[in-house]
Amino acid sequence: MRYMVGRGVKRKLSDCEDQMLDLPYPQQRQLVLNLCLDKLQSCQRRAEPSLHRSVLLANTLRQIQQEMRQEGGPPAPATPHHSPDLPPVPSDRPSTPVAALSSSLLCEDDVQSTCTELPKGPGSEDGGKSQDLLFGSFEITNSTSYLTDLQLDDIFEDIDTSMYDPSDFSVLACPPPRGSSGASLGNDYNLKAFSTSSSTLQMCLNDLDHIMEILVRS
Amino acid sequence: MAGAGGGGNDVQWCFSQVKGAIDDDVAEADIISTVEFNHSGELLATGDKGGRVVIFQQELESKNQPQCRGEYNVYSTFQSHEPEFDYLKSLEIEEKINKIRWLPQKNAAQFLLSTNDKTIKLWKISERDKRPEGYNLKEEDGRYRDPTTVTTLRVPVFHPMDLMVEASPRRVFANAHTYHINSISVNSDCETYLSADDLRINLWNLEITDRSFNIVDIKPANMEELTEVITAAEFHPNQCNTFVYSSSKGTIRLCDMRASALCDQHSKLFEEPEDPSNRSFFSEIISSISDVKFSHSGRYMMTRDYLTVKIWDLNMESRPVETYQVHEYLRSKLCSLYENDCIFDKFECCWNGNDSVVMTGSYNNFFRMFDRGYRQDVTLEASRESSKPRSVLKPRKVCTGGKRKKDEISVDSLDFNKKILHTAWHPQDNIIAVATTNNLYIFQDRL
Repeated sequence: MRYMVGRGVKRKLSDCEDQMLDLPYPQQRQLVLNLCLDKLQSCQRRAEPSLHRSVLLANTLRQIQQEMRQEGGPPAPATPHHSPDLPPVPSDRPSTPVAALSSSLLCEDDVQSTCTELPKGPGSEDGGKSQDLLFGSFEITNSTSYLTDLQLDDIFEDIDTSMYDPSDFSVLACPPPRGSSGASLGNDYNLKAFSTSSSTLQMCLNDLDHIMEILVRS
Repeated sequence: MAGAGGGGNDVQWCFSQVKGAIDDDVAEADIISTVEFNHSGELLATGDKGGRVVIFQQELESKNQPQCRGEYNVYSTFQSHEPEFDYLKSLEIEEKINKIRWLPQKNAAQFLLSTNDKTIKLWKISERDKRPEGYNLKEEDGRYRDPTTVTTLRVPVFHPMDLMVEASPRRVFANAHTYHINSISVNSDCETYLSADDLRINLWNLEITDRSFNIVDIKPANMEELTEVITAAEFHPNQCNTFVYSSSKGTIRLCDMRASALCDQHSKLFEEPEDPSNRSFFSEIISSISDVKFSHSGRYMMTRDYLTVKIWDLNMESRPVETYQVHEYLRSKLCSLYENDCIFDKFECCWNGNDSVVMTGSYNNFFRMFDRGYRQDVTLEASRESSKPRSVLKPRKVCTGGKRKKDEISVDSLDFNKKILHTAWHPQDNIIAVATTNNLYIFQDRL
């Protein structure tokens, strides 16, 4: 990261502003476009991508694209189709900002030269990947173990296990050996054992219930 | 020197306390992520990036010093959320506390909701200052006595003990959000609350954890068409059927839950037409609303976007009734702020107890107050330098151009690492809590 956050280093405004104001408008726009692509990329690569930020960046990108298109300026950026193998096909409008990720590479007036070859990444090597993938990776699935969220017995009572189809589970709770005094439901490793049958599920949950009782009363 | 005040007088803000580590090397986990007073103002809760909640309690005013308000001291500390790992996506789910909201007090115990990106928890904070002793069937250590040795009947008696404050999770509301939770809001009916993520808002009953109702869903069928996300949501303070949510495009929608089960159709849409003279590449980004708060009266709501605070009358959708510039001098620096990502910072805002003054944070550890009645505003700073007990805070000024006067600071000297995103105002008194990166400052008006 270019700037250190929270490390006591004063972060000043860069002289981006001064550079920018000297440029004619199309170059200003190109600068912003390049920054936008840069950020969209790094946004995707992060461990915690922010949907909010990605949407704002994508909108900015789209706005610039539209403006450039309306001016009928440089050759219209290409829109690769969804198949990754097709070479870029010139068309009038890139349909998605992600398509623009690769299409902007073809943009001729590349003043800043920061918009160089994009490293291979999920968003770029297949320029045709839709925004679906750009925005589709933000979902936090329900796969994290429901049962590890539970800490106490009365929360445990809230579970209505009848709505879970055990065959959907690939990872189930399995209680630690009975009588093990070190048993703690907070310990993830105890709970990630595999089990596949519904009777085992029921047994596991009953055992958990029992363990909880012991823990709470001790 | 006058400061913007609540209550019409010239309030002078004084340093009261600062909490947190002194050194400049900030541990990531200690970064404060939310600050909230409870309904009486006696308790002040903070959440941090490490998933911890720290609650401060105001000491009773001592009879010896009637001029001083009580200090806030640590009352309870607990780990609210732990880091989780999403195995399917190989992603970590942050334990950072995004929001804390207190429930109105019903009995001796206090309850609060705390949330990270994915899970909301209801915590009960209760005091114990007595202990039962002298069980009939149990020894003091809890072991059961041999029944044959029990020859008399005795009833346990409560004996005083050192005060113990216990925090226990009473409900865990999980698995209802696919996207990152940004807001929670307790309804005035005290039975339900809402939780909002980037695309959806859910309604919960505080007693029921395995079910929630989806009341807003702005996810497009085709994610390629996604251009707007939900940024904040709040219930109306008095009308239990009304809530608002703000968006990344600078709009606020007011919804009435009586109209339909799914409130995708808003009752009112608040949006100010864009000023064409201010148009830039960054117009949309800076219009994204980072916080929305109803006034205590329920007549107004306040929104915060990157450069301004706006007050809206709920009866007028076309434009805000008041607009306050927080740091207009940054408008010409938007490109730099975009480059260093500061333009995406999410500032919160708050009302004072009688809705006469609003407050929000800025950079360089500055925070701003706007007195709506007296049309005054003031910039103050939360810093160790001005932290002598009861020292009056000196108003700060940013020099926007031309010759810099003494005591002014120029825009280029501002420290953009030092941002005040979270502030809170005591519900009745002029006591404010201001969070810098890892410190919590408490200021009071001079009595």
